Amino acid sequence: MPVTTAVFYLLAAVTLGSACGVAFGTNILYSAFALMGTFLGVAAIFVLLGADFLGVIQLFVYVGGILVLTLFAVMLTHRIDVQVSNRAVGRLPGLVVVGVVATWMIRVARAARWTEGQPGPPAATTAGIGDAFLGTYVLPFEVASVVLLAALIGAIVVSRKEVKG
Amino acid sequence: MDATQSLRYFGPELVLTAAIMAVLALDLGLTARGIERSRWPGIVALAGAAAAIGSAVRLLRVPAREWLFGRMLVFDGFSVYFKVLLGLALLAAVWMSLGSREVRGQPNEGEYFTLLLSSGLAMLLMAAAANLLMAYLSLEFASLTSYVLTGFLRHNRRSAEAALKYLIYGGVASGAMIYGMSWIFGLTGSMDYAGIAAGIAQLDDPSRGAFFLALVLVLAGFGYKVASVPFHMWAPDVYTGAPIPVTAFLAVGSKAAGFAMLLRFFHFGVGAAGPVGAVTRVPLLQLGTLLCAATMTLGNLAALSQQNMKRLLAYSSIAHAGYALLGFVVFADAGVQAVLFYLTVYYIMNLGAFWVVMLIANATGHEDLPSYRGLAWRGGALPALALAIFLFSLAGLPPLAGFVGKFYVFGAGVERGLIALVVVGVLNSVVSLYYYVRVVKTMFLDEPRAEDAPVHFALNDLAAVGLLSAATLVLGIRFDWLLARVETARRIFAG
Amino acid sequence: MKFQYVPVLIAFGLGGLVAAVFVAAGMFLGPRRPSPVKEAAFECGNPPSGPAWGRFSVKFYLTAILFIVFDVEVVFMYPWAVLFRPLGVFGLVEMSVFVLVLTVGLVYVWRKGALEWD
Repeated sequence: MPVTTAVFYLLAAVTLGSACGVAFGTNILYSAFALMGTFLGVAAIFVLLGADFLGVIQLFVYVGGILVLTLFAVMLTHRIDVQVSNRAVGRLPGLVVVGVVATWMIRVARAARWTEGQPGPPAATTAGIGDAFLGTYVLPFEVASVVLLAALIGAIVVSRKEVKG
Repeated sequence: MDATQSLRYFGPELVLTAAIMAVLALDLGLTARGIERSRWPGIVALAGAAAAIGSAVRLLRVPAREWLFGRMLVFDGFSVYFKVLLGLALLAAVWMSLGSREVRGQPNEGEYFTLLLSSGLAMLLMAAAANLLMAYLSLEFASLTSYVLTGFLRHNRRSAEAALKYLIYGGVASGAMIYGMSWIFGLTGSMDYAGIAAGIAQLDDPSRGAFFLALVLVLAGFGYKVASVPFHMWAPDVYTGAPIPVTAFLAVGSKAAGFAMLLRFFHFGVGAAGPVGAVTRVPLLQLGTLLCAATMTLGNLAALSQQNMKRLLAYSSIAHAGYALLGFVVFADAGVQAVLFYLTVYYIMNLGAFWVVMLIANATGHEDLPSYRGLAWRGGALPALALAIFLFSLAGLPPLAGFVGKFYVFGAGVERGLIALVVVGVLNSVVSLYYYVRVVKTMFLDEPRAEDAPVHFALNDLAAVGLLSAATLVLGIRFDWLLARVETARRIFAG
Repeated sequence: MKFQYVPVLIAFGLGGLVAAVFVAAGMFLGPRRPSPVKEAAFECGNPPSGPAWGRFSVKFYLTAILFIVFDVEVVFMYPWAVLFRPLGVFGLVEMSVFVLVLTVGLVYVWRKGALEWD
């Protein structure tokens, strides 16, 4: 097995393992922390695929921002000492469904012919991303600013003070 | 077409963005003067929505069919038609909000109207998106604003609970959707719909299997937006918990935008490579038929036992998504035309129904069916009459608009040979008659009891309802005008 | 394969290893004599007050959202900065629109008093 493949599977294992930690952890706070492993794994996979800028962004925004936000959100709730945050309801039927769907997906994914990018020499992707943002993808880029604005306004609504009187 | 040239065809969106900024600026001005409550943010939002409609109507006359912004959006009759419809939905939602006790009693009105306008902007983008990236971004934008609007009512547990449920279902659905999109990109190597259509033509047989799976995943996202079974579970709780104007906007606007995306994706992205992509034709048709039949049946059966009017209308709106899906399953221009017509008619009658429910809730403080007892005989004769018109139209009784809408949808189905599905649809309409009539009976035939206080409605509150009921009556007889409009809009631009 | 990042991987591996060794060494080598004072949560020498997992103010949430929004803004600025000259005036206009929209948001949040802590 080439080194790249081996590293990929290692990173995938880290990502999925942490994701299982998030899903099956009994303490919601530990679940939130396990999310960090998932984010780090994904960031590393981005780097492995040559998307170094994206990898750094993943660290910046997800580990540095979203995760902190998640932790705050968890700490906001009344009862963080609740030990069972994931009630196991119908774990067996769930496993059966997941098994069937996963088998189907893996089978068709292996059979399909995927379009592959041309492996080129490693190059910094930042300039290419900038070009895409301000060229082809300028509309999504500008719309993103309005989405962020709406998110800000939404945050004010969600976190507003109790009305007095 | 590059960005600067595209701006000419981007009027409604630009107007709405300007309106969002104007509402924010105005709200800041009011805050600076220490004014807590004011009608002005709502009025500016109303003007913004009206201006956006005006801009969209002007675009109706432009015959061009173009890619905009480097193949992110499409400009065609179909998108402009939806923009007018969505603009009208936004206008109605703002107008309703101005007269709503629930909304007007809250602080943060400026934020409310900003979010409402943003939601409308997102839906306009949804109607024109012809690129997976833009489609996903606009869908998430619309969802994000809807979550906050749903949970807008402070001190109302149902509202908060509804927002949370909406968020969780939405997160799962959009997760499945973007995963499916990644498969589509991986298989066809393209994100814009024309490129996808070209890519499908090149697929070998096993890859088509994978493509079908991707379509199923993407369908989860669309299905969630239009509230079709099995992605409908959020709808009853969200419709019940949200403020009524938001509920109405979700029921007519969000659903129409979802259908616009669904139709464009399947008739242009997937369908352009042959009739509905010779690719996945068989399973897709069967899948669509199944979804359609299940959506109609489940929505109607669940509506039978509802006591809360918002909940009843929520299930009824699920059923109506099913009827519209019938036009989608036809997979042809005739089907698109039927869906467009149906959604327009649905806009009028469903909006009208929600509007009356809001007026009654304003007057009595209740939304449950027992509080409608004998409404017609204790001061609410006009709203009761209007509601009866809307409900009979929703049931599809002639000579009302709903009948014509159903007629075209079922007709398109028969032409396509989907006889069994049409029979299911007709049977469903019969079932639905029961719960619609039950409401009408409660209002007119049940005696008011001693504890049912007389209610009073101001005539100017009833103006919009009167307009909508007149439209329901007129469109039931003179529908050729709308039909002509729809006919020019049905041809979806295919690159 | 980008071999240029192999050193990063090695650094991560070493970092993890060092941490693991230190924790393990402490666990196995250190003496263990628990006492009630030692078991108490450490709050800068004061006697601990309240549970460690107290409820946070909702203000933290708003601050975190603000942080993420402007985090993302900076992320978008970075590729633009790399291409500042080739993109020219058009790029500047596009970026200005983007920043302007978010500035409106910031001003709004600020003037609405959402940043006041009390």
